[in-house]
Amino acid sequence: MNVAVILAGGTGSRMGIVDKPKQFIDVYGKPIIVHTLETFDNHPEIDKIAIVCLDEWVEDLKILIRKYELNKVKWIIRGGSTRQESVYNAVNRLSKECSGEDILVIHDSVRPLISQKIISHNIFAAIKYGAVDTVIPSTDTIVRSVDNLSIETVPPRSELYLGQTPQSFKLSILSDAHENAIKTNNINSTDDCQLVLALGHRVHLVMGEKLNFKVTSFDDLLLLKAIIKLGKTEMI
Amino acid sequence: MFGKSFKIVEPKRFDIYMEEVIFYDGEAIIKIDCAAICKADIRYYLGNRDKKTLGLKYPMNLIHEAIGTVVLDKSNKFKVGDRVVLVPNIISKTREKCSHCVCDDPNLGENYCPQAIFVSSNYNGFSREYINYPVDNLIKIPDEIESSIATFSELISVAVSAYRRLDLSGNETIGIWGDGILGYIFCSTFNQMHNGKIIAVGKHEKKLREFPVHSYYQIGHKNINSEDILVAYECVGGNASSLAINEILDNILVGGKVILTGVAEDSIAINTRKILEKGLSIYGVTRSKVTDFEKALVLLKNESFKQDISKLILNEMQIRNIVDYYEAFEFERYNKELGKNILHFDL
Repeated sequence: MNVAVILAGGTGSRMGIVDKPKQFIDVYGKPIIVHTLETFDNHPEIDKIAIVCLDEWVEDLKILIRKYELNKVKWIIRGGSTRQESVYNAVNRLSKECSGEDILVIHDSVRPLISQKIISHNIFAAIKYGAVDTVIPSTDTIVRSVDNLSIETVPPRSELYLGQTPQSFKLSILSDAHENAIKTNNINSTDDCQLVLALGHRVHLVMGEKLNFKVTSFDDLLLLKAIIKLGKTEMI
Repeated sequence: MFGKSFKIVEPKRFDIYMEEVIFYDGEAIIKIDCAAICKADIRYYLGNRDKKTLGLKYPMNLIHEAIGTVVLDKSNKFKVGDRVVLVPNIISKTREKCSHCVCDDPNLGENYCPQAIFVSSNYNGFSREYINYPVDNLIKIPDEIESSIATFSELISVAVSAYRRLDLSGNETIGIWGDGILGYIFCSTFNQMHNGKIIAVGKHEKKLREFPVHSYYQIGHKNINSEDILVAYECVGGNASSLAINEILDNILVGGKVILTGVAEDSIAINTRKILEKGLSIYGVTRSKVTDFEKALVLLKNESFKQDISKLILNEMQIRNIVDYYEAFEFERYNKELGKNILHFDL
């Protein structure tokens, strides 16, 4: 079974908006999270969907799920105070109902331009390798600074990639990685691949796309709206 | 849900569009899997139409030969995962107001309805990740037909449509002019449906040798005249169709029927004296309708026919991004081989 785990526990503090988290912002008449969920709901290889959500937004989410007939959503799971805790809550909950061989496709709710190809490639590679990260090659030179004032090193660009989501794992591997992280007091990692690597497990790369960007700021929102042309599929 | 698509915006220039995929009553959402480029797509790609026409067409998704997988159908006509052929000729939703009354004529049909729309011509085509599409224009592909082969069902349906344009007894000798992909498909399709002799006439012997016909001739051969051709199909198109039609007029029997299928952008000269002298009938054929596609898929269950059609697959290429898409068009633009590439969309 392939389960999409959609992370919607963020508050959108970097957006400045105070009345709703960024994933609930409307983009051309539909909240961003619905655009994202529809892609997974309509993907033939996704069997079920779990959403990790802020407690106070669960009712709103339930209304959206009914309104947009997102039939694959089976679980709404309480979000944690960090990304790691949110995923941990999902892993705990799903461990009770899924097998260790089932694939979790973990995706940010604020990456609505995810393509079916990236999802398919994640599932294929997760079945084969057990742990997968979606990345794009870095086209900019990345510099490392320790003091925020001067360059410490310039790592070779050809070895650098930018991490996106989905990150996909066999449930057993991800569960072991989270338990190990708690044991070693590694409790605030920004993604799950770091935890799997700490277990000594290789993480396979799947190519993402620039369009699969994360909406975290007003600039990103502007970009998203500019990209989506309202041509839809009307007669020309 | 958003879907990626490629639209032609000016000659030789595609843009990526991200659009919300919205479906309406009577529609399903289809993920496009396989497609092929047709000569009409190449004309739009190169801008080989007059400027005003192009201005009214661009921006537009090209490609009308495609198959896909159902990802959502609330009408329950199809199951999620069903492979389907997309029929590009869509009857206007205001059909009840149509005053042309050709849809129910068995020799004509909805492909001649002036109110019908045709994708990649006056409606967005299939070069995209997902499409919302009328369920009445979708046909389930039988399991035994591979997706690459099923992509040819549009061209085969045109041959089926051309065959039903006339009431044939089944024993007439048919001549097919044109050694391109359409001529080949007409020959191989008629082979499955017609008992009489089928003759191919074309320019290149290398290609004609591959045609599944009783006999073939290069253009200008003196023995074409002795074949007693009663029905002739022109599958040449362009300005060269003038030469082909005139050769048909010279060689067809008195009282014969000539069916034109090729598109010539310019007006062409034909010998009307011969038409009068021989009492010939001339018919036009364009496109096809849902039942023609259904028949095409039935024919494709036949192993020998499938073998004939598979010879037309030159290569199978992945379309992962717009660069691959450009390459596919550049290939077909210069392609002189008998066949075409099958494009596997992986967007």
